[in-house]
Amino acid sequence: MIQLFHVTKTYPPKSQALTDVHLEIGKGEFVFLAGPSGAGKTTLLKLLFREEEPTEGRILIDGKNITRLNSRGIARLRREIGLVFQEFKLLPRLSALENVALAAEVVGMPRRESQTKAYQLLREIGLRDRYDAKPLTLSGGEQQRVAIARALVNDPLIVLADEPTGNLDAEAADETMRLFLKIRENGTTILIASHDLELIKRYGSRVIALRQGRVADDLHRVQQEGSVG
Amino acid sequence: MSLFVFGAFMLLQENLQHFLTGLGDQIRINAYLEKGLGTSDVQSLGVRIKTFPEVERARHISQEQAWLDFSAALGAQSSLLDGLPRDALPSSFEILLKPAYRDGPVVEDLANRLKKEKGITAVEYPQEWIDRLSLVVLAVQWTKWFLGGVLFMAAFFIAGSTVKLAILARKDEIEIMQLVGASEELIQAPFVLEGMIQGIAAGAVSVVGLWSLFRFLDRQVASSVGLFGASAQLQFLDLKSIALLLAIGWLLGAAGSLFALRRFVRTWKS
Repeated sequence: MIQLFHVTKTYPPKSQALTDVHLEIGKGEFVFLAGPSGAGKTTLLKLLFREEEPTEGRILIDGKNITRLNSRGIARLRREIGLVFQEFKLLPRLSALENVALAAEVVGMPRRESQTKAYQLLREIGLRDRYDAKPLTLSGGEQQRVAIARALVNDPLIVLADEPTGNLDAEAADETMRLFLKIRENGTTILIASHDLELIKRYGSRVIALRQGRVADDLHRVQQEGSVG
Repeated sequence: MSLFVFGAFMLLQENLQHFLTGLGDQIRINAYLEKGLGTSDVQSLGVRIKTFPEVERARHISQEQAWLDFSAALGAQSSLLDGLPRDALPSSFEILLKPAYRDGPVVEDLANRLKKEKGITAVEYPQEWIDRLSLVVLAVQWTKWFLGGVLFMAAFFIAGSTVKLAILARKDEIEIMQLVGASEELIQAPFVLEGMIQGIAAGAVSVVGLWSLFRFLDRQVASSVGLFGASAQLQFLDLKSIALLLAIGWLLGAAGSLFALRRFVRTWKS
């Protein structure tokens, strides 16, 4: 699903964020991107949703080369990727439902249909009673769940999450991770950047460790069901 | 404000043009005729003069009429003419030109052609007056383009700045729309629309402001320029000019917002 071939990203004048990264992530995999701050986690995610362009190398998403895309191509790519951020990135003037529906509407889904789908998603993630609440009246965990619902509304192939539990307490972080695992059951590839080792230990079935912009480790292990529930 | 200033300049230019057109009516060529020319010769010469494309009207002034006109022009001093024969002054054709041909070189060329006509002994026209008039018209035209250009640029950047504020206020929304895969056109559309509406509104406000200014000037100034007659009466912008002003507002609003938006998104991404 995600393939990186010798990808390097350099920021001018000479700051090398990623060096010769070679990776393959299959469909439906649940992967943690681990590493300390400045290791290149966020840069790697930004390359995948084409916020940034690689300086060298090639990136394929679902077999399509996304290395050089025009603005139209970038918009099309992002419709296939759900994005979740640490700071939620919700619009405060819109309700939870409207925030989720907006993502569907801007890619051409009729308003009524997008609202129905948004409501279904909010119900599935346990926010049925809070659909008309404004984000600032929701807790951090609830806001992140709304953001996840928004990421899912266009049925993406991949969900990319950058420190999604960074602003959440332990309980809300667990809830969020359980939600990601549930999403994965539908075959969606999940890639989560995090520096929270505890969380990675508990939920990571595959952990790619970055250090100073290079892949330092790529660990596969069997998920311990007990630690998830 | 830019549209108002631009509109005020259009108003000034239109009135100046109108005023100059009025003055242009006074540009006449006098073609003096040979003495003793028969009535039929005069008539055929008149017909011939009217065939020139530059000529709007040609009026025959007989020797008798010339005498009376001159006498009237002298007024109280008309007694100076006492003792002179009534046919002392030559008969002539007073030729009025079409507005498009009231230009220095054209008048000179026509005068030269008239001189070659059989029966015409001399041709007179206000050379200096025509040259000055042409110069004023030319200056107004050039100033219009120069000032118009400067004001267009100013309005363009002002419209851009106004929209930039709107963009800044909705920066998060734009970012989120980009992240969820909205097309560039969809993101830009509301801002461009806003720019267009603001541009048209600015144009409409300018027209209202200009109308107030015009009413004020019309009352205050009309009496002091009344000596120039009807040609000096102030005129408001015609419908074409008002539509042009609104269209400029619309266009500047749209172009300004598009420019600001593209620049903003580029800066923000880099």
